[in-house]
Amino acid sequence: MSRTDAVTRILFEAFGAAEVRLFYLLGYTAIAIFCYGVYVQIRKYRRGAALKLEGGLWARFGAMLSSVLSHRTIDRRDRGAGGAHRLIFYGFMLLFAGTATITLEYDILEPLFGIRFWHGEFYLVFSLVLDVAGVALIAGLVYMMYRRGWMRLPKLDYARPDRVSGDPDFERPQYRREDWAFLWLLLIIACTGYVLEAARLVWLQGRTDVWDTRWWSPVGALLAEGLRSLGLGDHGGGVLRHSLWWFHGLIALILIALIPYTKVKHIFTSAASLMVRDPLAAQRLPRVPDSQAEAGAAKITDFNWKQLLNLDACTKCGRCHEACPARAVGAPLSPRDVILSLREFAQATLESGAVPAAAELDVHGKAPGQVAMETLWSCRTCMACVEICPVAVEHVPIIVQMRRKLVEDGAMDPLLTKTLQTIHKTGNSFGESKRKRGAWSKALPFPVKDARKEPVDVLWFVGDYASFDPRNQKVSQIFASLLHEAGIDFGILYDGESNAGNDVRRVGEEGLYEVLAAANVTALSNASFKSVVTTDPHSFNTIRNEYPDFGGKFEIQHYTTLVKRLFAEKRLQVTRPLKYRVTFHDPCHLGRFNKGYDAPRELLALLGCELVEMGRCKANSFCCGAGGGRIWIPDPVGSEKPAQNRMKEAAAIPGLEVYVVSCPKDLTMFEDALKTTGNEGKFVVRELIELIREAVP
Amino acid sequence: MKILVAVKQVAALDEDFAIRGDGRDVDPDFLIRDLNEWDDFSLEEAVKIKEGRSEPVEVVVVSVGSDEVDESLRKCLAKGADRAIRVWDSGVEGSDSIAIARVLAAVARREAPQMLFAGVQSSDQSFASTGIATASFLGWPHAAVVSSLTYSPGAQSAVFRRELEGGLLHEVEIQCPAVLTIQLGINTPRYASLRSIKQAAAKPIEVLSLADVSLGAADVGEAGSLSRVRRMYVPDKGRAQLIAGDAARQAARLAEIIREFKGAGA
Repeated sequence: MSRTDAVTRILFEAFGAAEVRLFYLLGYTAIAIFCYGVYVQIRKYRRGAALKLEGGLWARFGAMLSSVLSHRTIDRRDRGAGGAHRLIFYGFMLLFAGTATITLEYDILEPLFGIRFWHGEFYLVFSLVLDVAGVALIAGLVYMMYRRGWMRLPKLDYARPDRVSGDPDFERPQYRREDWAFLWLLLIIACTGYVLEAARLVWLQGRTDVWDTRWWSPVGALLAEGLRSLGLGDHGGGVLRHSLWWFHGLIALILIALIPYTKVKHIFTSAASLMVRDPLAAQRLPRVPDSQAEAGAAKITDFNWKQLLNLDACTKCGRCHEACPARAVGAPLSPRDVILSLREFAQATLESGAVPAAAELDVHGKAPGQVAMETLWSCRTCMACVEICPVAVEHVPIIVQMRRKLVEDGAMDPLLTKTLQTIHKTGNSFGESKRKRGAWSKALPFPVKDARKEPVDVLWFVGDYASFDPRNQKVSQIFASLLHEAGIDFGILYDGESNAGNDVRRVGEEGLYEVLAAANVTALSNASFKSVVTTDPHSFNTIRNEYPDFGGKFEIQHYTTLVKRLFAEKRLQVTRPLKYRVTFHDPCHLGRFNKGYDAPRELLALLGCELVEMGRCKANSFCCGAGGGRIWIPDPVGSEKPAQNRMKEAAAIPGLEVYVVSCPKDLTMFEDALKTTGNEGKFVVRELIELIREAVP
Repeated sequence: MKILVAVKQVAALDEDFAIRGDGRDVDPDFLIRDLNEWDDFSLEEAVKIKEGRSEPVEVVVVSVGSDEVDESLRKCLAKGADRAIRVWDSGVEGSDSIAIARVLAAVARREAPQMLFAGVQSSDQSFASTGIATASFLGWPHAAVVSSLTYSPGAQSAVFRRELEGGLLHEVEIQCPAVLTIQLGINTPRYASLRSIKQAAAKPIEVLSLADVSLGAADVGEAGSLSRVRRMYVPDKGRAQLIAGDAARQAARLAEIIREFKGAGA
């Protein structure tokens, strides 16, 4: 045996047989506690509704692995946390893998097959790697402690906007205690590991196989030198090693046992959540199966297992809390707290041996764990929360499913009730006669084809706002002229078109959505066209992502894509470049929902505009407040509206001339907010179509 | 224990409309139909009474009309009515509110409810007479424009309030069975989700003929009515005109118009 072959990890050396047995007993106990906890969690998820996932398991696994290993989602909008988590993650994983391989050899391979690999050079390199991993882990933990303790990040404040001070679940100090306990526990495990290593070196300093290779564990060796200089001898080192061994081992076992019962479980739940992620979670809401007696989620068990898993995946990182436009203007909603409330509710009801009676499973209300209707109605379904969540929690479908129950009960603003009735009766939210839907086109010097009666190349799905709102009618007329001048063969459905239903669905009126979608799918199917275009991102989203579920598969583009092509093909040409200093507001349904970030920006560049981005742009665009049917619900008097909040952001851009939008609802919301924030006269709000007209006179 | 609620499907004018060939009504092609607004409140009042009780209370809605009315009845069923009755016979066409009341009274005799609710009026005709006329045919006590109601199903009487001029409230006790016409604002009508309307398709709508309620052809239509629509029309507009010219010419023209207006012989 060569010199290095003798070098190996000192494991149970100098332990009596009883002591080793005791350790194994404790180890198995910890594993048993862990397994029982896992069983309780899985039983909890299985108590949710059934759901069949689309797509292959391996593809999902691969996508999850790529997110986890790259830390891509954790890095977003918080590089510090991402970097520190990466150190902790890789540090922990390496140390865990190290311990696991020791077990593999010591308890499985060697006793069963006589295979030993845990010695020699392999051991030394391994020892070095683990020492470095420990440093990474400690560095990450220390940064996280600094972040929690000193950075005072508002997103890490657990005070809830949907509760008031004094409510039992207002601040939830237990979360803060758990956060700190987790950090300290890991830090103590890591630090005692080093001291233990150092003590072992001092204890065995007389053995050359140990002492001569000590610098392969540089941190341990350094500490050992320190201990020796403090006067620790080999006997003292042996005593210290023995007691620290037990201390380190016990808290490590405690950590393992606690995983399924504490936030530590995010190691599994977050990864699993990423694996079952639906990339169209907010864009394509779930259907209500005909067999389902009640629409929407009334009880905690009405959520499917994946949603219950989502609740447990949340790591309280606060990114959704920070991104939510409702929360930003002081509405009683934080997506984080909806998730945490329901998580607490699921824990209290679904982790016990038997599922409680249905009456105790009601998730609607104001008691701890329940979600209030004011909270649910505050949501704009803008998808900011879903988009930024690093662990693929899908808040929007959860909120909409709960709203479906509120709609069923009629628990909503009277004006919203009225609007839904109006849409049912007239097919539009303006309460106008169906016959007037195409009336805006009468002012044009050319006729707009009726796509119900003759074939067209491009069918323009106009949408409610662009059809009926007087300000937006002007934009529709300009767009029609541009299409006409570019020689596009286009037509509209006139009164054959109904409200597209995007927002009706997000309100939670699924039955009405089904009626609207069916009517439009029929109208579109009966027309002859090559592709659909729309100026309305809301219609765009539902036709593109949701109509396929209702038998309507149509090729659809937002007008920015079509116009970009018209410029590329020289069918439209900029003859009067604009020199405006502009900013662009990404509509939720074009940007975040459908990733249409580039076409409007390329058009602005083409027009000659100087684009200055707002801080919150593209994926982080700030909702105008109209989404999710909120355009039909008045905002509380006296509170800031999301559109006003946004106007202030735009007004901070020096020399801004035009605030550019490309969504009919945005035009309405922001022209109003421009006035109410006192910015009228400083800059103007324009639909991109209007700027194109100016540059293409 | 049963409450009967009389409802009507009303018509609203669409953007452009035309008068029917006989000049006595609007061409039905230009009408948008919906449940009468007042009936939302009277139905809600009945359903609230039903929901507030542990013993069973049956809420039955009744309407007179063709199968077009089923859509509105289904909405009522979605909002909590247990059963719907629709009476129809082509002879009903042309009935005034009195003839309709005769039909409703016949249904009430058949159903024998403890209480009959109707809306104060219909938003399209605004006669405000159907409910009260029904009470008259039945010989039941009645009250109009009820804005608040305390009624315990099965009780011998009910107490209601009516709003009078000058902010006065009128509190009245009435013997049951009675007919009450319900005013807007007495409650907050619930929303019937499209899903619940769809599911209400499973609840029965009973279609009755005149014979089923022991009425004959002479009881309805113009024969059974006390009034008859002569014509329906849009009054002439734009009767103002600007007289051009100098003062003398304007005065002359004015005198001419006055003479024309007073007629020959003035």
